[in-house]
Amino acid sequence: MKKLLFDRIDEPGLNTLDVYERRGGYQSLRTALGMSREDVLSQLMDSGIRGRGGAGFQMGRKVSFLPQGDMAKYLVCNADESEPGTFKDRELMQKSPHMLVEGIVIAAYAGGISRSFIYIRGEYQLQADILEAAIAEAADAGYIGEDILGSGLSMSLVLHRGAGAYICGEETGLLDSLEGKRGNPRLKPPFPAIEGLYAGPTLINNVETLATVPHIIRMGGAEYAKIGTETSTGTKLVSISGDVKRPGNYEIELGIPSREIVYGLAGGPPSGRDVKFWFPGGSSSPVLTKDDLDLPYDFDSLAKAGSMLGSGAIIIADESRRVLDTALKLAKFYAHESCGKCVPCREGTNWTHKMLQRITTGEATPMDLDIMASVQTQIIGNCLCVLGDAMAMPIGSMVVKFRAELESEIEAARARSGGADVEDVVALGVADEHAGPLPVH
Amino acid sequence: MPRPERKTIQLTIDGREVQAAEGAMLVDAAKQGDIEIPYFCYEPKLGQPVGACRMCLVEVEGIPKLQTSCSTPVKDGMVVHTQTDRVRAAQNAIVEFLLVNHPLDCPVCDKGGECPLQDISFGWGLGRSRMIEPKRHFQKPLALSPLVAIDRERCILCYRCVRFSQEIAEDYQLIFAERGADTFVGTHDGHPYVAPFSGNIIELCPVGALTSQPYRFRARPWDIEDGAGICTLCPSQCNVTFTVRDERVLRVLARDHEGVDDGWLCDKGRFAYQAIHVDERITRPLVRDGGELREVSWERAIDAAAGLARHQGRVGTLVGGQASNEEGFLLGRLAREGLASADIDSRAGGAHGWAGPVSADLARALAAPELQASVPDIEFAHTVLLLGCDPRDDAPILDLRIRKGVRRHGVKLAIASARPTALEANATLSVRYAPGDDGRFAAALARALDGADDVGEEIAALASLLRDGGEDVVILYGERLGAGAAALLRIADGLGIAGRDGAGLIGLPGGANGRGLREAGAVPDAGPGYTTLATAGRSTAQIGAAAAAGEITALHLFGTDPVRDQPDRALWERALHSVALVVAHAAVLTEGLAEHATVIFPAESHAEKEGTVVHPDGRLQRLRIAIAHPGEVRPSWAVLAEIARRCGLDTGVTRAHDAFAQLVAAVPAYAGLTLEEIGGRGVRWPERAQAASISGGDVTLVGVPAGEPAPSAQNGSLRLGTYRPIWAAPECEVSPALKFLIPQQQLELSPEDAQRLGIAHGSEVIVSSNGHRLTATAAVRTGVPAGSAFLADGLAAESANALTESLVEVVKV
Amino acid sequence: MSTGAGRISVPRFAHGSRVPGWDDAVDLTKDPAVVPDPATTPVPADLRREIEAAMARYPDRHSAAIPALHAAQAVHGYCSPTAITQVAAIMRLTPAYLTSVASFYDMLELEPRPRHDDVYICTNISCSLLGADELFDAMVAAAAGDNTVHVSSFECLGACDIAPMASVNGEYVGPLVPDDAQRILDDLRAGTPVLPEKQLRYRRCVDATEESETEDRT
Repeated sequence: MKKLLFDRIDEPGLNTLDVYERRGGYQSLRTALGMSREDVLSQLMDSGIRGRGGAGFQMGRKVSFLPQGDMAKYLVCNADESEPGTFKDRELMQKSPHMLVEGIVIAAYAGGISRSFIYIRGEYQLQADILEAAIAEAADAGYIGEDILGSGLSMSLVLHRGAGAYICGEETGLLDSLEGKRGNPRLKPPFPAIEGLYAGPTLINNVETLATVPHIIRMGGAEYAKIGTETSTGTKLVSISGDVKRPGNYEIELGIPSREIVYGLAGGPPSGRDVKFWFPGGSSSPVLTKDDLDLPYDFDSLAKAGSMLGSGAIIIADESRRVLDTALKLAKFYAHESCGKCVPCREGTNWTHKMLQRITTGEATPMDLDIMASVQTQIIGNCLCVLGDAMAMPIGSMVVKFRAELESEIEAARARSGGADVEDVVALGVADEHAGPLPVH
Repeated sequence: MPRPERKTIQLTIDGREVQAAEGAMLVDAAKQGDIEIPYFCYEPKLGQPVGACRMCLVEVEGIPKLQTSCSTPVKDGMVVHTQTDRVRAAQNAIVEFLLVNHPLDCPVCDKGGECPLQDISFGWGLGRSRMIEPKRHFQKPLALSPLVAIDRERCILCYRCVRFSQEIAEDYQLIFAERGADTFVGTHDGHPYVAPFSGNIIELCPVGALTSQPYRFRARPWDIEDGAGICTLCPSQCNVTFTVRDERVLRVLARDHEGVDDGWLCDKGRFAYQAIHVDERITRPLVRDGGELREVSWERAIDAAAGLARHQGRVGTLVGGQASNEEGFLLGRLAREGLASADIDSRAGGAHGWAGPVSADLARALAAPELQASVPDIEFAHTVLLLGCDPRDDAPILDLRIRKGVRRHGVKLAIASARPTALEANATLSVRYAPGDDGRFAAALARALDGADDVGEEIAALASLLRDGGEDVVILYGERLGAGAAALLRIADGLGIAGRDGAGLIGLPGGANGRGLREAGAVPDAGPGYTTLATAGRSTAQIGAAAAAGEITALHLFGTDPVRDQPDRALWERALHSVALVVAHAAVLTEGLAEHATVIFPAESHAEKEGTVVHPDGRLQRLRIAIAHPGEVRPSWAVLAEIARRCGLDTGVTRAHDAFAQLVAAVPAYAGLTLEEIGGRGVRWPERAQAASISGGDVTLVGVPAGEPAPSAQNGSLRLGTYRPIWAAPECEVSPALKFLIPQQQLELSPEDAQRLGIAHGSEVIVSSNGHRLTATAAVRTGVPAGSAFLADGLAAESANALTESLVEVVKV
Repeated sequence: MSTGAGRISVPRFAHGSRVPGWDDAVDLTKDPAVVPDPATTPVPADLRREIEAAMARYPDRHSAAIPALHAAQAVHGYCSPTAITQVAAIMRLTPAYLTSVASFYDMLELEPRPRHDDVYICTNISCSLLGADELFDAMVAAAAGDNTVHVSSFECLGACDIAPMASVNGEYVGPLVPDDAQRILDDLRAGTPVLPEKQLRYRRCVDATEESETEDRT
């Protein structure tokens, strides 16, 4: 398959304007500026491209939600790539920063936007430096700034470095952070397209999504839509890591069998063992097993299987891995990254982490698995943003799919620690759902 | 911005048809249908909902996920369910999550019995928890400030307190630190949360995490009664509820009144109740005997006070700002009818460069109903102008109202003052003038609005902001404007304010009931209802001078100590020393009274008093008795009636109500009012038909006195301005909890002058003029114009009224 | 009211984190922390310039909070009360605003620490599957006693392709083995580039046709 984003990605100097232009860079911008805003927007709509950041919302529709008018509108590129397992934007920004800049200018034109920001996670220092240099080059060349290429379009672009907080990858948390506040997610509605950055209409898109825009304009939206499946168009950068021979980023056509990515591209587990479980779309996606490897890798197929494509980050764990270890890492991560604003996420992630720790110390009973599963359902759908769900869904899936293993972990740990009998814990009154209002604190 | 119009829509909640204002939040609309939805973080007073606690989740038909009803505006035809299994499961879940880390120490928690978390756990929780892990434990309780204790174990991170600090008071001292389950409420680097409105966070806290240091463990909800009242410690006249146990006020809570206080209180109003029950309180009559004040019987004290009758025609009466309308009215009758002395005033004299007191004609013109703005008008105006006042000190709760208008409704704030105000950061335009130039500035602004082009750039810019920024202009002006307020009539005329809904003037008097006392006739040149008197008496400053000169031989001081409250301390010390008789009514002994009073009657506190007061926006409000009079304190109306009787005047007042009835009969604009009508919410008389009895008259007839221009600073001297800090009050001095706030004198000066004079921030300086001097700490403050300097008055020591000239010398100690 | 003296120790759940501030009362002898007056708050000229330049980049000056705190941290070593007060004076904010922001983010430090070099070891899922916990232990052991190196475990740094990995003063290196811990320290002490052959910046994009790069370490 022909690569779009990663075509000759390692060409030396591609991060400079020179090489990028020599390869036809910024031609799409010229094309777009020769078209009307509406035409650019309809190309984006026709492409059917869905957001590459996690939620998978159609980009063209997002742009179309922006109100018309003279008010200050903003574009924010979400480069706060912090979903565990995801590292595609990093490589893209480091090696082809101008592709992103070009995409941003075109998208801003389509949305009638004059101020743009790239919010990059603070840890990506190398990539931020490269982007800053690229922005300066693009500004010098007249691709950014006043009256771009004589089109009358003006747009500024500021790179904003974050300071280490997963929640700032959530679009409204990112907006608060960019406004200089704690990165707490906001209530929705109002959605950012109506009231976002500085209370103005705001288009927020992932790096990969925006970097694809020049290709859509070059190919034409309809042509782009021919790649992939009907509802998952285009190519996708997939980050694959964990127990595989060749971890890294691959550009794939959406809809190919997952097995082809895991085994065909990444080579499968180096040990030769079978895959035990895998996250198809970052650590927030419910885990799948080896039985699911033949699922087509696209938004809808994975959703139908009870998981999601998310950010397109596959993490593979082979048969030698313990589910409990990964569950603990996961719960610890989300408890650490919960912003603390809403109750179910703040308390639920923390409680779940404590319950998992009790399993390892031999203080849990199988009944705790029921409580854990129930706590996850109490989190899902009740939170302010999706972070709570992002822990509850994979943990919930692990309890369901690997219950027997977790039960034997419990028994083994109890045996190791010489812990109390199950009956002792039940006697505390924890187990009996029908014991009446007996506060057990 | 003008108030948005709201139409009424209909929705269905749990099968019931409910009417609500369009755009209202579902949780509020549900109340209309008698449906209770539990919540913690929602509090409409705090502005936009945050949706943090997730307690109020409900099912809305057509939306797949449960919605937070605190953030869902109602729409016509909406169908909502609050009782389904799904909703109940979510509510149970949230309660369980909240209790994951909340300690169940209710038996020893100060909030017990009035705790939303207790109530909601009982009503919407499962009554059990599956959490067996140890809870978080913190040291508790800890000091957050001398007034507020914090118990972080109990905190459910509902955001209320931090939102108050950040978005209502805008002091931004209280914050969330850290993240996730580690989040805690705190301050920067261990600094205490000390700000004028900090106590509101106690009332906002839905658990026992923030408690009042003075109230902690003083009572349980079942021990206490509530008494509705009005705080008369400043002109804001906030509506309060006194928490009473065994005839003692133990706490003051806000009694939300959108038209007055918006549900907030300042810390003076909230904590100075302690002054009611302190040893310093005067609870028995005192008479000077052999040079010492001694406690005596009422008979003996009344006998002594009746000595006023021997000074017919030579009695000066000063009425303190906390006096009620009825007291002011009776004092006027006593002075004029009983003592043949028209020398009565309730207004402070002005400091340096003052334009003189407001005349009766001007007062009447300014009180014209068509010129009156209401408090809510501040919030919805296009432009608010502060002229010669700083609401934080002069009427604190209005400071919050202005912030709300600017933040939520896009009000443009213009400030014209000598001293930088607490609202500078919120202002669209801010203009400084020299101390004492208030009246001249107003006159220049009036001329600019009339089209004069020689007023300078700043005033021209201000004029164009007022003229072109939208029709609804509200002007708040301070008493220091004095007779210079005449220019307001021209300004109002130029802006077309008269008769316009949403526009108008609000005068901030120096005394809490300054407006009511004027309307009751406690001024030298007007009787009740701004009626012109044939012969005018002396104003405050003139009374002082006449007393010092021997022309006035007796003083009747009702709730005021001129040595503390008036400019020119030395003059008043001479005056009090010169007169033969000083009859005072006071709750605490201040320095002038301690030294000079002949008779002191114990005065009532605002929790003990019956009567009415008038808010600066014309709202008559009712004081009611919340606690019995302590010690031998008697109602002041009765004391005044008795003194009058002994001076030969039968007032006919034998009940509190009699004085009110006489007042209503005497003030045409109050005609027909009853106490029942005033009730618990008050009545704005400018909105009554009878208000037409006061008309503005021809404003062009009222000249604009320029006053004497203040001399400009020269030879290293500085122009002195004064201000009265919110905490400069005897009530704060004797309230144990507030003692830490008592201001020490500091000289505010500009960085330029500090550098020129070689004065470092925080160093001791001596400020002197004309042989008078005081010691102060230098406070270098950006925003103070070069050439100006400011000192606080109303202090017990080193108060600005020790200085009499407008130019002062400053030297390092 | 406990103000610090004679305090008893409180048992707490051993989840390994002890949050500074939880158990602290305020110091009642301090004045409230209001917006610092620029006239009485000296700020180093370079820092002032940097913060003012950051403020100028955004339509709302508040947006400069994180860049300004980064800059102040670089000058003062951490977001000390002095650093925060200086930023507050220039940005016309209360110090509390900035403390609240700084404490939210992992890369801004509110606690003093002797430091020169930062080593963040990713211990999230992919890295830990491939031995990050052992790497972290090795790094801590190697740096023990060296108070110029600040080692901390970090959540996913976005480089799972070189798992297990570390970010050494912002330079990503991996895949690492426990023995690399000492080499990192050696390079830091020598002032030479850290593990140049393992730096991510030189790494080519993965190619499915190449031979396996990852050995089987399980």
